[in-house]
Amino acid sequence: MGDFFTYSVILGIFVATLKIATPLLIAATGELVAESSGILNLSIEGTMTLGAFAGFVTANETGSLWLGLLGAAAGGGALALLMAIMTVTVRVNQVVAGLALNILGLGAAFFWYRSVYSAGGSIQIPVVDKFEVVSVPLLSSIPIVGEVLFEQHWLTYIALLMVPTTWMFLNRTKYGLELRAIGHNPEACDMRGVPIASRQYAAVIFGGAMAGVGGSFLSLAATGLFFPDIVAGRGWIALAIVIFGNWRATWILAGSLLFGFLEATQLALQASDVNLPYQLLLALPFVLTILALVLNRSRSGAPLSLTIPYHRGER
Amino acid sequence: MSEPTTQAPPEDPADGRDLRPNLGAMLSRSGGLRLERRLDTRPVHEFYATVAALAITAVLIGGLVALAGVSPTDAYSALYDGAFGSVESALETLVQATPLILTGLAAAVAFRAGVWNIGGEGQFFAGAMGAYFVSTLVGPLPAPLLFVAMFVGGAIAGALWASIASVLLVRYGTNEILTTVMLNFVILYGLSWLLAGPWQSPKTPYYQTERMDAKTFLPRFIDDSRLHWGFAIALLAAVAVYFLVQRTSLGYELRGVGVNRTAAAYKGIHVGAVVIAVMAISGALAGISGAGELLGLHHRLQLDIAAGIGFTGIIIALVARLNPAGVVVVAIAFAGLLNGSTSMQVGTGIPAALVEVIEGVALFLVLLAAVACRYRLRRRRQLHD
Repeated sequence: MGDFFTYSVILGIFVATLKIATPLLIAATGELVAESSGILNLSIEGTMTLGAFAGFVTANETGSLWLGLLGAAAGGGALALLMAIMTVTVRVNQVVAGLALNILGLGAAFFWYRSVYSAGGSIQIPVVDKFEVVSVPLLSSIPIVGEVLFEQHWLTYIALLMVPTTWMFLNRTKYGLELRAIGHNPEACDMRGVPIASRQYAAVIFGGAMAGVGGSFLSLAATGLFFPDIVAGRGWIALAIVIFGNWRATWILAGSLLFGFLEATQLALQASDVNLPYQLLLALPFVLTILALVLNRSRSGAPLSLTIPYHRGER
Repeated sequence: MSEPTTQAPPEDPADGRDLRPNLGAMLSRSGGLRLERRLDTRPVHEFYATVAALAITAVLIGGLVALAGVSPTDAYSALYDGAFGSVESALETLVQATPLILTGLAAAVAFRAGVWNIGGEGQFFAGAMGAYFVSTLVGPLPAPLLFVAMFVGGAIAGALWASIASVLLVRYGTNEILTTVMLNFVILYGLSWLLAGPWQSPKTPYYQTERMDAKTFLPRFIDDSRLHWGFAIALLAAVAVYFLVQRTSLGYELRGVGVNRTAAAYKGIHVGAVVIAVMAISGALAGISGAGELLGLHHRLQLDIAAGIGFTGIIIALVARLNPAGVVVVAIAFAGLLNGSTSMQVGTGIPAALVEVIEGVALFLVLLAAVACRYRLRRRRQLHD
């Protein structure tokens, strides 16, 4: 028991928290933008998996991790384009379309992976030289804070920067406010001449691209590998974080950090001899999300038209 | 007046701001045909459209297989041989179809009422846990009663787990899509805890219970196949769901709630009660699925017994257009894909993951076909609207 509450273990938990939170934060922020336009994209898990693989295969073929990120964004964005066609143009039920594309994304990633890397019969497991941790000069030498905040991956810094950027976009720019207005009341926006469909397309594709990048953090920064179960439910967690954060960028950051912290703690618990059920910590985020749904119901930040397709002139 | 929104828009410059790609407009400009919205959709059309969508799926997947450098006919025949090529493989396909029929029905019945139960996976686990729990309580019961007790235990556990979402929905208006998704994870970690602690077999370090007593094993139809009584239960459940939805007053009410909640409420239907009942039935079906897999195949609780059966059930229900008989057919077809994919992978090198691509593409196209059914092509008239 005494071993667990040591300086190095606790510091390790905080360092890991930010690392674990990174893919969640990127995917959840993207999903926030998509959902702000009134489209619930349930396919985050599949999109992240496809992104993880698209990023991996691009990096492996070109030798460039940054091109890998681009590939991941393209893969995720392509799947989200299908989502936008289905939900905005054809106006299929969003839940159903999301589930269809979720399985399509998972299947495409596994199929592609197997066709590329096990074609000759033997399964060679390729590895890419993953992103290295980047120390911010000076700041990283601050004790504790430096190690926790300023010795992280590029993507972690980018993810953290996305929070104020997204907040600014959604709350202080014309396009962002219009996007949120579309999510709340598309009819009024239509009357004002805001192009609904193209904005929704853009938001959904952005969300998908971010989910792809979030997924590629796992393959290109965390492991340097791809394996079929690499996302392991993180897409669903990202979806939960958007709800937990009540559709607000700042609370989504808090949610990602909380979920990351719980995960990091349970990992440390499993590695230690502390006899505490780590499953409790794993289940806690989901219980908290349900609680947040119940408690926030009177001041819910959910877009009012979330999941409701817009037909001009119909109610 | 027909519905104004779905008509091809007149070539009016004032309407030029509408950036929504309009199917009708695109087609009408392309020739002398016009896309019109139908006021009614006919089941026959839906059936043909679904079949056409599945045929297009087969062609597209064939193209993908060809791209991977394998002859599509080779891949499909390997797939077919693995699924239905012999009596043994056909029976094994039915073994794999059994839980899918039940989770497919679970999704279908809920979706008919407009209740989006995405928690089939979790309710499947709840059902297996319920059946296991009952088996630990009522060991000495004679066989028929024992099975009834275990299945009832599984059904109740599945229904209770699903009811958390429906009670929250009715009481607080929380979105059931989101809560059922979250509950899947909660029960998985709950089971993980039980399997690492109270229920763990003392003989192994693995996360599993001890092998259950042989008298809890569901009887098999014949010696050479794993096909067990669960398959008969699944077929019975399909018939029961058909009668429930089409022939009972609850079925009438649930269809009404599914079409329009507000209208149903004005008609005097107690929407909340219907939602609770439907969710409980849906959860019970998924729970029976889990109980059947435990008692028919696995005989011990493990974390991997569901393997996506709850999620696949949702896809099956949607491809089957929420029709109970369709669920049985599609579940058997999907099970055939799963079962045949292994021999396809061995025989042709095409990854077994092709099955998931097929499922996704099939659902995608069936959804498009369902929308297409709501329109018809007409020769363009010379009249202005």
